[in-house]
Amino acid sequence: MAILEVKNIEKSFDRTPVLKDISFSLEKGQALAIIGSSGSGKTTLLRCLNFLERPDKGKIIVQGETLFDAQDASSIKEKDIRMKRLHFGMVFQAFHLFPQYTALQNVMLARQLLEKGKPGFKENKKKIYEEIETEAKELLDKMGLADRMKHYPHQLSGGQQQRVAIARALALKPDILCFDEPTSALDPELTGEVLKVIRSLADQNMTMVIVTHEMAFARDVADQVIFMDSGVIVEQGEAKQVIENPQEERTRQFLSRFSQTV
Amino acid sequence: MKKRVLAMMLSLAMCFNMTACGSTDNSDKTTSDKASSESKGSFKSDNSSDLAYIQDKGTLIVGITDFEPMDYQKGSDEWIGFDADMAKAFADSLGVKAEFVEIDWDNKVLELDAKSIDCVWNGMTLTDEVTSSMACTNAYCNNAQVAIVKEADKDKYSTVESMKDLNFAVEAGSAGEKELSKLGYSYTSVKAQADALMEVSAGTSDAAVIDSLMAAAMVGKGTGYEKLTYTASFNSEEYGVGFRKGSDMAEKLNDFFAKSYKDGSMKKTAEKYGVQAALTEQ
Amino acid sequence: MSTIMEQMPIVFHSLNVGFLQTLKLFFVTLLGAFPLGLVIAFGSLSGFRPLRYLTKLVVWIIRGTPLMIQLLIIYYFPGLVLGKTLWSGGEEGRFMAAAVSFIINYSCYFSEIYRGGIQSVPKGQQEAGLVLGMTKRQIFFKVTLLQMIKRIVPPISNEIITLVKDTSLARIIALQEIIWAGQAFLKGSNGISGQIWPLFFTAVYYLVFSGILTLFLGWLERKLEYFK
Repeated sequence: MAILEVKNIEKSFDRTPVLKDISFSLEKGQALAIIGSSGSGKTTLLRCLNFLERPDKGKIIVQGETLFDAQDASSIKEKDIRMKRLHFGMVFQAFHLFPQYTALQNVMLARQLLEKGKPGFKENKKKIYEEIETEAKELLDKMGLADRMKHYPHQLSGGQQQRVAIARALALKPDILCFDEPTSALDPELTGEVLKVIRSLADQNMTMVIVTHEMAFARDVADQVIFMDSGVIVEQGEAKQVIENPQEERTRQFLSRFSQTV
Repeated sequence: MKKRVLAMMLSLAMCFNMTACGSTDNSDKTTSDKASSESKGSFKSDNSSDLAYIQDKGTLIVGITDFEPMDYQKGSDEWIGFDADMAKAFADSLGVKAEFVEIDWDNKVLELDAKSIDCVWNGMTLTDEVTSSMACTNAYCNNAQVAIVKEADKDKYSTVESMKDLNFAVEAGSAGEKELSKLGYSYTSVKAQADALMEVSAGTSDAAVIDSLMAAAMVGKGTGYEKLTYTASFNSEEYGVGFRKGSDMAEKLNDFFAKSYKDGSMKKTAEKYGVQAALTEQ
Repeated sequence: MSTIMEQMPIVFHSLNVGFLQTLKLFFVTLLGAFPLGLVIAFGSLSGFRPLRYLTKLVVWIIRGTPLMIQLLIIYYFPGLVLGKTLWSGGEEGRFMAAAVSFIINYSCYFSEIYRGGIQSVPKGQQEAGLVLGMTKRQIFFKVTLLQMIKRIVPPISNEIITLVKDTSLARIIALQEIIWAGQAFLKGSNGISGQIWPLFFTAVYYLVFSGILTLFLGWLERKLEYFK
């Protein structure tokens, strides 16, 4: 069964349609790359998955559970949405680390706040906090940041900051991790280190949705690729298939602009 | 939205009107009467007696300024002086406590009407404006408005006539200001009588006009203004105590003055502060 | 006439008492205006239009009129127009009225600074908090607040130093703060009159206090330099 099903999502801003009848599904452990030119609606789609935008129509289903149904008002209550978000992790193009916290604190904060609300927290506070810290350190270690834990965001390079952001998203153990152009704000020489981390996550069968402009990366790392244009899915399929042998004219045109980098 | 702004502005304007009517004294008697009856309407309706109101709260709040020898402090926080001592005795006779509060003299009527004080007892000259905006007692002290000049100029300016070309400093709204404006002399209005003294002392004004009682206490040998002296009198006048307009307290205090004049206690207090010569028969 | 040496103890006692009143008004104002300003800031950022407009109207009126008028109205209006004063005529009542006026006035100024501070924190910070499952409350207190504080320390410092000196306006309702105390010796008090030197010391009190505040606020600003 698919871990994520998106059905007939539509979204308009001030009557300008941005997403038109978007449907796709994703199997557990697979990586999906969404490609397309700017303004094609890929980022909006990702923001819908994280409920930063509300779709006007359609459904979002995770592991068989309908998280969002535009027709069912009870499914879009603010209070519930907060917990539903936890199915997804989000890595932003501009990192959005909390500047007043160290790398380690950035990774731990949300978990600590989440645990605080649970019953039995007070009695086990120390143990829970220790556990959170251990896990956070392991995550940062995996990101190759063992020696940067006590650093504040402004003391880190863009690539390092983005890796902290990935660790921060992973700390909440999301079912699906979303990346919104994770390397677009980085210098070319820093792009590699972030892509390497995402690649290793793919190797560990992390379910991911990645909006990216890195075609070679999409081809090599993603299992599925969706090409979007003007708010619709033009083509979707196996990554290699879509990128190396696109069926649609619009996909071919788009990809031809990247031919040198592929 | 517009209506709300308008209403807000109107109520602001209204409230300025009232403060204005309360503090400046209107030569047009009918307007000033109307304003004061307006602002005190509620006082009359829900509290028929000012005496009852004061006895009920247990304190007589006396509005004063630092004014030797009437109300002043010497080496401690306690207020002493002829007025202060009399006020304490009066409060005792009513079974309440006298509480002294320094006020801005310009706001004395406002303070009374706003009930933040109960009376003004501070060597207050009974002018038409004062008697029309407060319920006043009979006069208890004589006073005069005297000219203050530098000791060195004493002989040059011994009469009112001789001072016609001088620049005066005088307390705004005081009896002295009124006299000067009647004579057509040039003057600057300052905030307090003491400020007028400062002006002369600092040379920013040639002369000042202040109360003779104050002059006796504050000017000349052994005071803060040794180089100043007082010469001619502009008028003679009387001191009284003021209560809220319509108050029954003024009558009560008149009775008290009469009683303490008769039994000699008023004179004794006056002697203590050197104002016995100015005392008025009750 | 007594010598300055003899006058000193009397004068300094008076100045100390007056300065205590100044300090009291200063701290009570800050204590009240810091949180109230935040409430007003939220009002002016509210998505509920009537509330937003109402708050903006109040802020406009309070910032657009002199504090001195506000003091006079707040102290005298209830007794004069409503027939029942809210404040006792004594020292305490005057202090309360002054504190209320100052808190209202300063919280309006603070609210605008807060609003700027809140709006200057990038929206991404909020979104990052949201996708991490934080509540709006948690996002405000754990993420936005400190970043906002860092941004508002310089403008708030300005207001705080201004407040030190503004406290002297309370003398319009006869609150006896330090300038009143110093000026009393010009007019005549405790047998001392015509003396201007106590006023110079009054100025020294202000200078020393605002100096200490400047040092403290500078320290706070440096303290927050650990992040950007």
